Amino acid sequence: MKKLVNAFLAIVIVSFLLIMLVNYLNASEGYGGGNTITVYNWGDYIDPELLDRFEEETGITVIYETFDSNEAMMTKIQQGGTSYDVAIPSEYAIEKMKEEGQLLKVDHSKIPNLKNIDERFLDLSFDPGNEYSIPYFWGTVGIVYNPTLLDGIEFHSWNDLWNEDLKNEILLVDGAREVLGFGLNSLNYSLNETDQAKLVEAKEKLETLQPNIKAIVGDEIKMLMVNEEASVGVVWSGDAADMMWENENLDYVVPVEGSNLWFDNMVIPKTAKNVDGAHQFINFMLDAEVAAQNADYVGYSTPNKEAMKLLPEETISDERFYPSPELTERLEVYENLGKKMLAYYNDLYLEFKMHRK
Amino acid sequence: MKKMKLSNIYLFIVFIVLYAPIFYLMFYSFNSGGKMYHFESFTFDWYRELFQDTRLLIIVLNTVIIALLSSAISTVLGVFGAIAIWYVRKNYRKNLLLSLNNVLIVSPDVIIGASFLIMFTVLGIKLGFTSVLLSHIAFSVPIVVIMVLPKLQEMGSSLIDAAQDLGAGRREILTKVILPYITPGIFAGFFMALTYSLDDFAVTFFVTGNGFSTLSVEIYSLARRGISLNINALSTLLFLFTIILVIGYYFIVTKRNGRAVGLGARK
Repeated sequence: MKKLVNAFLAIVIVSFLLIMLVNYLNASEGYGGGNTITVYNWGDYIDPELLDRFEEETGITVIYETFDSNEAMMTKIQQGGTSYDVAIPSEYAIEKMKEEGQLLKVDHSKIPNLKNIDERFLDLSFDPGNEYSIPYFWGTVGIVYNPTLLDGIEFHSWNDLWNEDLKNEILLVDGAREVLGFGLNSLNYSLNETDQAKLVEAKEKLETLQPNIKAIVGDEIKMLMVNEEASVGVVWSGDAADMMWENENLDYVVPVEGSNLWFDNMVIPKTAKNVDGAHQFINFMLDAEVAAQNADYVGYSTPNKEAMKLLPEETISDERFYPSPELTERLEVYENLGKKMLAYYNDLYLEFKMHRK
Repeated sequence: MKKMKLSNIYLFIVFIVLYAPIFYLMFYSFNSGGKMYHFESFTFDWYRELFQDTRLLIIVLNTVIIALLSSAISTVLGVFGAIAIWYVRKNYRKNLLLSLNNVLIVSPDVIIGASFLIMFTVLGIKLGFTSVLLSHIAFSVPIVVIMVLPKLQEMGSSLIDAAQDLGAGRREILTKVILPYITPGIFAGFFMALTYSLDDFAVTFFVTGNGFSTLSVEIYSLARRGISLNINALSTLLFLFTIILVIGYYFIVTKRNGRAVGLGARK
């Protein structure tokens, strides 16, 4: 009995000592004070130094939380248990959250640095007039490949994937719109095609690609490409940048027919408590110098044209990640096609996956 | 002799399978290359980076606090729950209670997590320390019950009858007979709850919020962009810490029980 009581007391005492330690650490970081904002971002998607700098400059403390998928983030925000002040979803998630009334309008007068954003990335179909969202990073869908394993095969067009020498070499990301999208692109159709005959045509064309497909995978595509288990992959440019960082042999290309243009934008959820602080944070992130430092750390493409002037020449002249204006004109943002059309896309994609040999 | 050797080899292989991934992970925490393959050169950089990252340290401490507190509280609740179930005389009622307890053990974490999220939302409880603590207590209690019940059944009722005959009151029966007898079960339950709490992701994911997070949730959200090697460093430290605890616990137990425990007793 005595042993039990002692053990219990020891646990409680240790816990309270630890709680005091955490409180001390929290206080030294400045958490728990009055003026705070909660930022909800993808894992490892901001330079932590910038958070410190923001705290110093504005006196607002940042509570920083991370998520790993748009869906998880939307659930958390919808549920409303935490007062997130700034979140960073992707474009289709923004559209969905907007429709469900989960977002607050952004007050442009409080974000003077909005002028730094390149007009190409403003006023897009998922958020006309940028009423609810401000661009954070952007990218494309393209082909990542390993020239050392490919013996001179090069990629310019989506149709190069159908090369007979690529038997069992291609990895695809597991996304209905991404895969059907490049099928459509290879036929010079729009990514937002709603004509069922054209969609079926794209699916049938994709089915002829089957002998070349090694696997349809998720996040592990990065590891497989870096470890040279496969030589070609269809991926998002952000992932490609990561892979190329880890394996210098890899190269990335956005095919000439065009491709998808994706965005991660900053929004203010309805649950926000410190709306003013949220605006200050968004404005801070749009500052040219800050955005440049962040782009340098994260490695994705910044939509901030003033920041681009501060980035090293070799970064912004890299057409793989900052494609030329001629190409960006052919890039398309996913539009919300409605539930019915999306289901049709998913059905076709499922059929495509099922017909694998 | 030959049989002995074969069993040793078998044991050896099993332990290799169990420990190889952990040592693999520990090995690369010293890699200056920053990747989980191709060892470049030896470095302590990741450990240095780890101790400079206050946010991560706070998360680690939170994880430990939640684990200790939730398993201590759920041990208390679980022990009384087990005793209550044990005292139920009617067989069908006892089985019913036990089955209800087991349903909570086998039901998927995601369901438990989502249910808690909905409940906290409806009740207006803010997500954070309290919500995580409460849900960890909730999924640990049935585990403690399951660990303690066998000890109670092993004890049987004759000991209690004897104590009653000797004039012991209810309180004395509890503190002087039942609790000392089931102490090993209680500790087993406590440590079981501790490990469940330390590595739970699914439930915790739903109920964290307001800047409060635990290690499993944090590592999971890092996974999309590739985990930095300071997580390897952290795992190494946690592993060594638990090993030291286990060794310490082993010495305390063997010292106290002398030769009564383990191989010595059979001589």
